[in-house]
Amino acid sequence: MADASIEFKGSSFTLSVLHLKTTTLVDLREDLINKIAQAPEFFYLLPIIVDIERVDSSIDYQAVKLLVEELKFTFVGFTGSVAKEQKKLIRDLGFSFVNSASQSANNSVNNKAKVDTSIKPVAAKPASAIKTQPVEVAPQLALYTDKIHRGQIRSGQQIYAKGQNLVIIGSVSAGAEVIADGNIHVYGSLRGRAIAGAKGHHQAQIYCQNLEAELVSINGNYWLSESMEQHWNSPAYIHLSDTELVSSKLI
Amino acid sequence: MARIIVVTSGKGGVGKTTSSAAIGIGLALKGHKVVLIDFDIGLRNLDLIMGCERRVVYDFVNVINGEATLNQALIKDKRVSSLSILPASQTRDKDALNKENVGKVLEDLGERFDYIICDSPAGIEAGAMMALYYADEAIVTTNPEVSSVRDSDRILGMLASRSRRAELGLEPIKEHLLLTRYSPKRVAEGEMLSVEDVEDILAIPLLGVIPESQAVLKASNAGEPVILDTESDAGKAYQDVIDRLLGETVEFRFLVAEKKGILSRLFGG
Repeated sequence: MADASIEFKGSSFTLSVLHLKTTTLVDLREDLINKIAQAPEFFYLLPIIVDIERVDSSIDYQAVKLLVEELKFTFVGFTGSVAKEQKKLIRDLGFSFVNSASQSANNSVNNKAKVDTSIKPVAAKPASAIKTQPVEVAPQLALYTDKIHRGQIRSGQQIYAKGQNLVIIGSVSAGAEVIADGNIHVYGSLRGRAIAGAKGHHQAQIYCQNLEAELVSINGNYWLSESMEQHWNSPAYIHLSDTELVSSKLI
Repeated sequence: MARIIVVTSGKGGVGKTTSSAAIGIGLALKGHKVVLIDFDIGLRNLDLIMGCERRVVYDFVNVINGEATLNQALIKDKRVSSLSILPASQTRDKDALNKENVGKVLEDLGERFDYIICDSPAGIEAGAMMALYYADEAIVTTNPEVSSVRDSDRILGMLASRSRRAELGLEPIKEHLLLTRYSPKRVAEGEMLSVEDVEDILAIPLLGVIPESQAVLKASNAGEPVILDTESDAGKAYQDVIDRLLGETVEFRFLVAEKKGILSRLFGG
């Protein structure tokens, strides 16, 4: 009877991981504030896991948690490959310790929860452009290469450019589906579905020479045909501003 | 080597069998040796359109199972001697066919004929896949309406991925668009997709446009393929299709609504 109201299931999510390079709280605070200033919307209530692998064990866990919570992150737990004793200490202090997918493959004994540690790209500005930073929020994703398809994508066909941009020299028919982890370019009419940034790429865009799509989606935000009226039947590109899709005239 | 041409569409009732019959007769009338194969096992129709339903003794499945020879099963057309028909079985189902034995029959036919026309069943299941598997060319029969165009698009995807040519990485199947039941008047009124609309979506070369015509139904019921009705628009349009298949450049006809003459306007005709 007790099971009727709830159900536990495993699921993977993309979570941001905050890698600490120092334990000096003043520095952490300053760099985090600078970082947040670049994209306040994005960071607001963002669930994060704090990676402590690169700092010594003298860290004040409680203070780190309070700091990120004060800056309006949602603190999830700590991670990193550290000694068993340290993990135990963290748990004894009342914090959860999250093994990353690769770690838990090695020692899956006590922690069943698998958390995907792949990271959302954060700001358009490359990480290196920011001044000395003990805090590194997310490494930029490597530049995507292109998967190029010549010819029509017919109804019922599906193409996925895994870890790549997708370039289609031809049209995408109604009932066809094109998916890419990067951007999608259609040098023809887009009449089917286009899903860009499929694995969580906020900057992914969709370009086409004629917009008549059934559905477009970027990083999980989608539009059906009715939302595309503004640039319907004309060259357009679609991108994401914060969490809203926006379409713009292409030429 | 015989040219293997599949007449296909995805959607049913668009005119595959009518077109197969017309193209078969048309090519035979030009002096080519042609065989028409009905792949619609269980829903035999081609023999009716061809007017030879009373002459079916053995069928395609009998040949495949070794119960009859090709000579026994092939029906010679009474109008054009260089045309033969291999009827489908009405009592079996599509599982009777498999790639190996269909390939063997096509190979044997290829030695005797110049053209093998495969009349595909509707749908995208095993029967339709079997009809298109060995094709060198495909005539994609489409009505000027969205669901038919969508299904043709799907079949074009199959032609490019599920055929023998695709599997072996050979030159792809040559695709032709045959637009049937076309009514210029309804296109003008915006009720029907235009030739341009369909060409734009499917992006394959246009082989012919057959106008909507009373002659087609009449011909089907009489078992006289409409191409033999040389007075009708549909008959003439199929004639053009044959010329284009044989490599000639023929202008497209029947694309605009006929203007009514003063007399018919006066008498309300």
